[in-house]
Amino acid sequence: MGRIAIVEGVRTPFVKAWTLFEDIPAQRLGAICVRELLEMTHLDPDLADEVIFGAVAQPVEASNVARVISLYAGIPKDKRAYTVSRNCASGFESITSALEKIRCGLDEIVVSGGTESMSNIPLIFGKDITKIFTRLNRAKDLAEKIKLFSQMRPHHFKPVAGIALGLTDPVCGLNMGQTAEVLAKEFGITREEQDGFSLMSHKRAISGRMKLREEIVPVMTGRDYNIVVEDDNGPRENQTIEALSRLKPYFERHTGTVTVGNSCQVTDGACAVLVMDEEKAKAMGYEPLGYIRAYSYIGLEPHKMGLGPVYAIPGVLKKAGLKLKDMDLVEINEAFAAQVLACIKALDSKKFAEENFNTSEPVGRIDIEKLNVNGGAIALGHPVGVSGSRLVLTLLKEMKRRNARFGLASLCVGGGQGGAVILER
Amino acid sequence: MRGRRTGRRGDLRTVSGMNTLNLRIEKEIAIIEFDQPDSKVNVLNTDTMRELDGAIDGILGKPEIKALLIVSKKAGIFIAGADIKEIEHITSADDAREKAENGKAVLDKISNSGLVTVAVINGVCLGGGLELALACKYRVAGFSDAVKLGLPEVKLGIIPGFGGTQRLPRIAGLTRGLNMILSGEMISGRDALKCGLVDRLFPEVRLIENSVALARGILQKTIRTGRKEKKKLFLVLLEDTPFGRALLFSQARKNVLQKTKGFYPASLKALEVIRRTYGKDFKAGSRIESEAFGELAVTDVSKNLIKVFYLNEEFKKLPWIAADIKPDKINKCGILGAGVMGGGIAQLVSFYDIPSRLKDINYEALKSALKTAKGLFDYALKKRILKRHQVDYKMGLISPTTTYRGFENTGIVIEAVVEDLNIKQKVFTELSRIVPPTTVLASNTSSLPIINIAQAAEYPERAVGLHFFNPVHRMPLVEVIRSERSSDRALATTIAFARRIGKVVIVVKDVPGFLINRILLSYMNEAGFLFEEGMDIRRIDRIARGFGMPMGPVELIDEVGIDVGYKVAKILESSYGPRMRVAPILEKVKEKGLLGKKSKAGFYLHKGREKEPNPAIFGLVGPSGSGHISDETALKRMIYIMVNEAARCLEEKVADRPQTVDIGMIMGTGFPPFRAGLLRYADSVGAGNIVKDLEVFEKGLGALRFKPCNYLIDIRDKMGGFYGTV
Repeated sequence: MGRIAIVEGVRTPFVKAWTLFEDIPAQRLGAICVRELLEMTHLDPDLADEVIFGAVAQPVEASNVARVISLYAGIPKDKRAYTVSRNCASGFESITSALEKIRCGLDEIVVSGGTESMSNIPLIFGKDITKIFTRLNRAKDLAEKIKLFSQMRPHHFKPVAGIALGLTDPVCGLNMGQTAEVLAKEFGITREEQDGFSLMSHKRAISGRMKLREEIVPVMTGRDYNIVVEDDNGPRENQTIEALSRLKPYFERHTGTVTVGNSCQVTDGACAVLVMDEEKAKAMGYEPLGYIRAYSYIGLEPHKMGLGPVYAIPGVLKKAGLKLKDMDLVEINEAFAAQVLACIKALDSKKFAEENFNTSEPVGRIDIEKLNVNGGAIALGHPVGVSGSRLVLTLLKEMKRRNARFGLASLCVGGGQGGAVILER
Repeated sequence: MRGRRTGRRGDLRTVSGMNTLNLRIEKEIAIIEFDQPDSKVNVLNTDTMRELDGAIDGILGKPEIKALLIVSKKAGIFIAGADIKEIEHITSADDAREKAENGKAVLDKISNSGLVTVAVINGVCLGGGLELALACKYRVAGFSDAVKLGLPEVKLGIIPGFGGTQRLPRIAGLTRGLNMILSGEMISGRDALKCGLVDRLFPEVRLIENSVALARGILQKTIRTGRKEKKKLFLVLLEDTPFGRALLFSQARKNVLQKTKGFYPASLKALEVIRRTYGKDFKAGSRIESEAFGELAVTDVSKNLIKVFYLNEEFKKLPWIAADIKPDKINKCGILGAGVMGGGIAQLVSFYDIPSRLKDINYEALKSALKTAKGLFDYALKKRILKRHQVDYKMGLISPTTTYRGFENTGIVIEAVVEDLNIKQKVFTELSRIVPPTTVLASNTSSLPIINIAQAAEYPERAVGLHFFNPVHRMPLVEVIRSERSSDRALATTIAFARRIGKVVIVVKDVPGFLINRILLSYMNEAGFLFEEGMDIRRIDRIARGFGMPMGPVELIDEVGIDVGYKVAKILESSYGPRMRVAPILEKVKEKGLLGKKSKAGFYLHKGREKEPNPAIFGLVGPSGSGHISDETALKRMIYIMVNEAARCLEEKVADRPQTVDIGMIMGTGFPPFRAGLLRYADSVGAGNIVKDLEVFEKGLGALRFKPCNYLIDIRDKMGGFYGTV
């Protein structure tokens, strides 16, 4: 059996939540990608064995969103589909699961990817009032109903944002932004450094706009399909350091440095990639974008989840038999500027290596010129279940442009994990 | 008829010897099974009714039998109605009335029997079949989608004759009964349950078993039947008060007149019968029903509608290609050219769950197509033809793009780009380099020769014409055009595909205008000449609509677009010569920039739904000729010129036979079905009369276009008609 190939991939534009894509449910975003992928590769839908899609917040009306996507995209009803969730690495997990399925001989052709509509994460009624409503529904007589009504209070009706709940880890009790603050303090990442990094992300995304179009399928939306979305709408053309510096810290009012400007954006989007064995791809006449050389997931303390990449990267390099300097391009998901910068510092720190990896050699230095060269989640957005797939796709496309040999993609994962994938061409 | 033989004694006794019916007896329950030999469906013809009569008599003679079930052994069919052939051959109103009375007599035996009677509806239950079920005390049905109940008699120009007008309103309510009878629509088993037409729904596999149990339960009084819900107050006021009823009938009359424009007497007659008999004596009402049935059965309208029914059935499956040529199965359809046409075709294809790849050069055009498609789906949603989740799914089957990516694995590509030969040829060349040689390339052109477009492609034998009519979702006709190089396989595939998306197919020759537009344009062109001679355009349109055309020729030109009409007319003139000379007014109107409805001004000024003659056109004609043209003359000119052109089409083998012309004109232009078709109408007038009038027009106006063609003269000389000897 040969290597596992990523034959082709496509994604929707990444759009800020509650803007242009707010009325498109996640299953539709995913279906657009999968259908376009099938069209681009002129693959008969009959030949796709399985659809594996990553999603963090699945739509309440489309359980196992991968299945709904599969049927919407025209894949026959007798094919399989399931949805995976490894928080922010769900987009990775869909691809590595496909690899595992193919290696085990259970599938030959898999459509992987991710979909997320953060705009459509519901507002929730609190537990107390939900209980009252449920009992009301089952109440048998008027007396019981009146009793239940009398238990209602005005504060019951203030909705809770599901998205806020989702972005908070229940084990350590911190939300994602707060974990970034933990790292900012531990590694001494200044506000200026974070804002500067964010500005770079925007600048690179803007200048990379035409290149990014090569991986995007335009989406027509609006009442009469009169809005054609061809680009990500997160990147700001006129982003300035002054504008960034004016923002107040969002997660810690008085002592914080993490703002909405130097954090990833809340975003809607989807991505799909076609995964199959190298020999199968060649036999079908495809020229794959690239191949998966190695992958690795690790766990760490949830309150420092941002350091996930630092732990995952040494593992994947070892599996691949390569060094960090062998990587021609690197993508580290920009959950927060502080988090990426902390990872860069830790990877290059002798002390960190001694304390955590039992070796005096630091993992390596990441050349900033090779990192997130077309912008990252700070500018483009982080639809949480999708980003893993986007990193793989965008990395392979840029590797092709530069005729590069090896690429590294890595994510920190809410809940305390890290993931990393090495791609080769 | 064979004599009866009783089977072995015991609980289960069968009586054999009947042809269609089988009688089973299970203790106190008798079961009559319908199973017409050598037929997929059960129909109530004279013989079957006689058998039924005999079977009922037999049952009534056995006092131990307390219940009767009527079932069908045909999959998906209960009883599909009366035998249309028998109705077709009725020539006297008295005969028809007697038939109705006889049928009612048999069914009344069932309703007066005192037995617990149950109709077990496992599928299609229409016309006489539903009337039989209504004569039973109870009706049950299966859950399957095959279950359809209706009284579609008005569609054949008659009314229910076996008691339907009396029993249906009593059982399902006046409003529902009226709706069903006047429109002839079919309802599902679930809807029937809701309105009380059906008492229970049972799963298919246990349908008869459960029905027997129901009958037993009713006999033993362990099961209660009857409406559970009280009738809504609104309906009580509407149906059970004289004032409400008057309102209901008057509104129904208005609706019928608006829909039928007074051309179809059956609906009005049905309305009258129900109005006169609802709530009154059943026997007297039954007699009135038979009387009305008799009158209608001998009308020309009914005979013609039956002819059109058979014609439609024939053309649904007509094998244009030899049976051994198997059509390819289409898994994905490519559509080139978005816009209103492309959008309409994409929506049609998706409606039938076929994925489509829709391409245009930019997103502006794609927007228009998707908007069109969505609009059509929203309409289907509103009319409850589709549910929301179905619309979401089907709309998603349309995949828009601006490149040719995704066309590589289409089975057929429909080209609907702008009507320009160079562009169509370019597109065919590009396409043929991308799609495999087996993919059918079908052009929707309305005026360009298919062979010219086909030759631009590699493997031109897979190219055909596939001409849709506007609006795509409503006009049932497509012309499949065979070029001189089109292969049988490409044609077979296209025909099968068109039928799969619900269209009626005619295959015609690759000549300018093909068949239908060539005929229709002569009608529209003639209106131009009539206008130039001084006729008011409203009068022209009114006369044509008075004949039964859905649109007058002038409003039709405005609808199609004067630029489009002129262009096609010019192509026909240059192809067929001076006899197809374009009425000069068309060019003048076009030059003035008056394009018709799309520019809100053409021959008419269009304001929303209203229109009035455009004063700007009056100055375009000089002082006219003879002055007064009679209604009769104007009509003859407009219709006979079509007949003449159709005759030429038969002469030149553009259409293979007159049936093709007639079904094409009815399904493609709305030519009045109550006249059974253009050439059936011509036969009813007589070739002799038509030729005589044409010659008068030719001489009187000095107009080459009226010269009768040889085919027509030949028919006249042989004293025959388009359809054999008259």
